[in-house]
Amino acid sequence: MKKLEYGLDISGLTVDFGNFKLDNITLKVPRGCITGLIGRNGAGKTTLIKTIMRLNSACAGKILYNGLYFPEHEEEVLNKIACVFDSPVYGKGAKPKQLIKYYRRAYKNFDEDKYNALMARFSLPHDLKFSKYSFGMNKKYSLILALCQGADILLLDEPAAGIDPFDRSAVVELIQEFMQDENHTVLFSTHITEDLDRIADYIAMIECGKLRFMEEKEELLNSYRLVQVVEVTEGIKSVAMGLKSTPFGATFLCKTEDVPAGASVKIPSVEELFVALTEEGLTANHSDDPFGL
Amino acid sequence: MKIILSGPGDMPIYERLKNGIKFQIASGELSPGSMLPSIRVAAKELGIGIITVKRAYDDLCEEGYLFSEQGRGVFVSKSDAEELHKKNLREFAQKMEELKEIAAALNIPPEQAEQIFREIWRKKS
Repeated sequence: MKKLEYGLDISGLTVDFGNFKLDNITLKVPRGCITGLIGRNGAGKTTLIKTIMRLNSACAGKILYNGLYFPEHEEEVLNKIACVFDSPVYGKGAKPKQLIKYYRRAYKNFDEDKYNALMARFSLPHDLKFSKYSFGMNKKYSLILALCQGADILLLDEPAAGIDPFDRSAVVELIQEFMQDENHTVLFSTHITEDLDRIADYIAMIECGKLRFMEEKEELLNSYRLVQVVEVTEGIKSVAMGLKSTPFGATFLCKTEDVPAGASVKIPSVEELFVALTEEGLTANHSDDPFGL
Repeated sequence: MKIILSGPGDMPIYERLKNGIKFQIASGELSPGSMLPSIRVAAKELGIGIITVKRAYDDLCEEGYLFSEQGRGVFVSKSDAEELHKKNLREFAQKMEELKEIAAALNIPPEQAEQIFREIWRKKS
């Protein structure tokens, strides 16, 4: 059998809510890899994830899940995707031991041994109402539920939002454990946190409902430099993105080949790249699109 | 079997991983013929991307520090210590070349550059 290349193969996806539109998204998420989805609030990250989870209906385009087209393989696809939403999908009044009865029935591949082991590992009580769970405990619990469904494709909407660094490292650890199987695929949206960015293999950026780019992370970061100069010349203005002047000079982002001679440079972090590109997107006209999209 | 990252934080992670592995080969912690952790295990242990590890391993295979056997894994090359040392010297010489350019640009004569290097060395040890 030919090896499948993409966990998610999205083409021409359009979702129209009237006041917001996810516009003609074509995004191929490589199987066996972790892809981070970045973008400002309201850019469409959550809408995209919900559409992949079949919670929004698209007016155009299609999505293949491990090569399978949803309408033709409904049950198979639904058993192969799992999602951690930004807020828990269960009621606050319930307890894990009650909820799990439903999951056992709903997911035929539900792995109860793994579930119990993970509950023990993260000291999550079975017999406590979710309203008594802390925010971080609820996040971890949601992730554990998703991981035990026997899915190959894991989607996470802001898995690190609002949790402390300690809980975040648990989330990172669980995602990387899931990725030990090369047939697994992870797509998460992120508000940019260093530990989560570090484990991503690809970065996709969406802006106002459109995909701006999707690239291998190291290559992407390495194709830009964060530059510090004392004086801003006309030459610099023509290549600089997200130019910020300080009393001592200026910092900006530019393509690696455009770095002015003698400037102090470093490779940007995902956050630095994101901020500069977003700013550039707000100010510059796109007639000269640096991404060739 | 543990592998490490080595180098300044602003260096690309795959370069730091390459440095770390080279360092461990040179120090004998990774002995010739020993197997490295799989790409996915290494990515998890180090908290970095899978592709990042793959790139570091691929580079080191190409440079002769490692070799991979289809379906079995990635191993430390069996090249002898002398050969390895020569390779390290060549790489070090390349780095020094860059420093020489900087020294020349700043008008620092070789004697002074050498003195600075020796002083740094002394302070470190």
